[in-house]
Amino acid sequence: MLVLPSRSRRNGLRELSGRRALGLSAVTLTVLVSLAFAAVGCSSSGASSAEIIVTGSTTILPIAEIAAEDFTDQHPGTRVLVSGVGSSAGIESVTRGSSDIGTSSRDLKPAEEELGLIDTPIAIDSIAVIVHPSNPVDALTSEQVRQIFSGEITNWSEVGGEDREIGLVNRDEASGTREAFHKIVMGDSKFDRSAAVLPGTGQVRSVVANAEIAVGYISLGFATSDVKVLAIDGVVPTPETVRSGEYPIQRTLHFFTDGEPTGLALEYIDFILSEEVQEGVVRDAGFLPIPREGD
Amino acid sequence: MAEASAQNDENHKKAAHGLRLVSRSTHLKEAGLRNLFLLCAFVAVLGVALIFLFVGWRGWSIFSTYGVGAFLGGAEWDPIDGIYGILPLIYGSLVVMGGALALGTPLAVGTAIFLSEIASPRVRSIVRPAVELLAGIPSVIFGFFGLLILRPFIASTSGGLGFGAATAWIILAIMIVPTIATLTEDALGSIQPGIREASYAMGATTWQTVYKVLVPAAKIGIIDAIILGMGRAIGETMAVLMVVGNAPVFPDSVTDPIATLTTQIVIDMPYATGDHRTALFGMAIILFIVSMGLVAAVRLISRLQSAMEANR
Amino acid sequence: MSKRIANQIALALLWTSALTTVAVLFAVILYVVVNGIGQLSLGFIFTWPRGVNAEGGVWPTIVSTLYVTALAMVIVTPIAILAAVYLAEYAVQGRLVSIIRCAADTLASVPSIVMGLFGLALFVEAAHIGFSMLSAALALTFLMLPIVMRTTEEAIRAVPKYIRWGSYGLGATKWQTVRRTVLPAAMPRILTGLILATGRAVGETAVVIYTMGQAINMPVSPLDSGRPMTVHLYLLAMEGINLPAAYGTALLLMIMILGFNLSARYLLRRTRKV
Repeated sequence: MLVLPSRSRRNGLRELSGRRALGLSAVTLTVLVSLAFAAVGCSSSGASSAEIIVTGSTTILPIAEIAAEDFTDQHPGTRVLVSGVGSSAGIESVTRGSSDIGTSSRDLKPAEEELGLIDTPIAIDSIAVIVHPSNPVDALTSEQVRQIFSGEITNWSEVGGEDREIGLVNRDEASGTREAFHKIVMGDSKFDRSAAVLPGTGQVRSVVANAEIAVGYISLGFATSDVKVLAIDGVVPTPETVRSGEYPIQRTLHFFTDGEPTGLALEYIDFILSEEVQEGVVRDAGFLPIPREGD
Repeated sequence: MAEASAQNDENHKKAAHGLRLVSRSTHLKEAGLRNLFLLCAFVAVLGVALIFLFVGWRGWSIFSTYGVGAFLGGAEWDPIDGIYGILPLIYGSLVVMGGALALGTPLAVGTAIFLSEIASPRVRSIVRPAVELLAGIPSVIFGFFGLLILRPFIASTSGGLGFGAATAWIILAIMIVPTIATLTEDALGSIQPGIREASYAMGATTWQTVYKVLVPAAKIGIIDAIILGMGRAIGETMAVLMVVGNAPVFPDSVTDPIATLTTQIVIDMPYATGDHRTALFGMAIILFIVSMGLVAAVRLISRLQSAMEANR
Repeated sequence: MSKRIANQIALALLWTSALTTVAVLFAVILYVVVNGIGQLSLGFIFTWPRGVNAEGGVWPTIVSTLYVTALAMVIVTPIAILAAVYLAEYAVQGRLVSIIRCAADTLASVPSIVMGLFGLALFVEAAHIGFSMLSAALALTFLMLPIVMRTTEEAIRAVPKYIRWGSYGLGATKWQTVRRTVLPAAMPRILTGLILATGRAVGETAVVIYTMGQAINMPVSPLDSGRPMTVHLYLLAMEGINLPAAYGTALLLMIMILGFNLSARYLLRRTRKV
């Protein structure tokens, strides 16, 4: 309990960035107080059945939160407390039993696989590399994308375009999209620091949409016809190529539970997987719904 | 100054004289209230001390552990790898401030001269409120305007992204106009009318009077105004943040992304921990010292001026 | 002849700079009004933002802004007015007064982001108040203190001396004189200063961004966190997904601030006439 205040506080700050900022997040202080409440409640009575704690990835925070609000509206008397402290902390928290659901934007590490956590994939985050519609470049390899964003390639002519400098548009360090892009595309390479750093998806899109030299990346769900989405390694990102795993820049968002989910946790997970949330909140946040069984 | 102090002394004596006629309890009450007011006035001193103490406390260790030279002189800002050189950010702050002053000062001083020397009362009653209202518009709205109108415009003219020093210059120049214009107008207004009349009587044109007589006479006031405008420019955060592009590097051109001390603090604060966070507070210390230095400069200049006048 | 031509050119340039300033003001206002007016409705003002991209209204952010501003004014008004009373009526020119003036000048020039980090370090963290209306209001207090102090002091100094003499002549003590005659006489101008400072607080972003928190919330107690309109506008603008709401928020903000400024001007003009 002692660790929590500082973490939640940091979480309050994290909300500044990106679309997470737009989440109707439960107030830091309220979360704090209610967590304290929850802890008291848990130890003194069995009242915790009407309340679940969801902790973990900041990328998942907005969907988990908005869904939690809709869920509690539909299930009066229940409470879902959501906080974003990072994927590792979420996995650790559900393992220790201090939360009911741990959310993570990465797969389990080998050491964590032995913990016996049950994995429920809830959405797919796929990242599109975007350029100005007039840019003659249609496709890049992952390696070229890495070289462009690390500053090794600085002119469009090096990748088959016009002889113009490349205008890099990057996301801020607190962005989950940047984190995923870095992990999947960049590997050990570092981002070119002379890139413009923007703290929001929509701004990246609108900057790329009216600067002919620009290249940026955004969640596939936010790509519109204002910008051209590039094929990566010969694969154009579409819902189909993402689901089939052909499109390389993607990751799955997970809910982890300690054993099969039961009670309110199960109901909440089922709600997240329902069409209402998958087609609503999940898509609004720029993610792709998880393929439904039988699809 | 001297007049005010004399008046105060006079009041003081009068009050002291009056107090002898009242009861002891009233006397104590009056003295107690006086001390309470002094205490309130001291809140300002307390504020400065607290800022120094708490920002300093949080940021000081970056100077001792990372090193003053490495922090201030380091050419690389890469917090992920624990590299905290803020030279590019200092450079960015100076470039952005310098350009904004170069654009904003003529505009502001021109507006002030216009208001004080040229405008008819009716025109003045439109322009002056406009300048004052401009001062009231929040910086986030200027940033919003810059981001959605100015940036695309700069992008299409320069062929770049539109983020960079040039965009910040224009926005900041607008923002410092009220600061500089108001103070310059005050300075011009405090010139004795006789000086003006003498100049016109000798057949000087309006411009000759302004250029040869009024501006030299108001020189100190104008310099003060520019210094305060400088403080405003270097400390401005949100509007600059929204248009500079936030790249902590030495850019090749004024239309390439750049970052300043203030913008880097806001961009990094959400995820900064440990030394990185300390470094951000260290940057706040620098900003605080700079703003204090500018205030000290203004005070020094006015002291020099009064010394010069005394010698005359 | 050349002197007349030079004069004409110079005058044209001075006219241009003044007109540019006015034109810029109108351009910014017009831009916000034209884009925001379609967004304004009772629904936008009085409902909550919904969903990931904050569709719907901005009501909690308006309440947060008004809450923190009111709280800051409640704290700063008595301190600043009494401090100004000290400086204008009681203080004897000396080292002490010059220290206080120097501190007020310094405080007035502190960059707002530094004030924000200070609020974060002292109120949010060291004092364990957390992200809250109170933390933000206390940080704003230090921002507004020198402004209100200066305008109040000027207002008090503008009260004619003979008013005081009359009061002393009737046997009033110093405090009685100040409270019964000087302050009431100075009140319209003091109020003007307070209103202008309020406008400043409403439009402030960097101070509150790291002291109030950024989560949307309806504040009830001073210890509740929230998201003020300025931060909401910043986040919406930088996110860039829901720009109509950003325009609407900008317009509301602008209306509030212009309202404060114009009412201050009106008040001042009315007093001058009397």
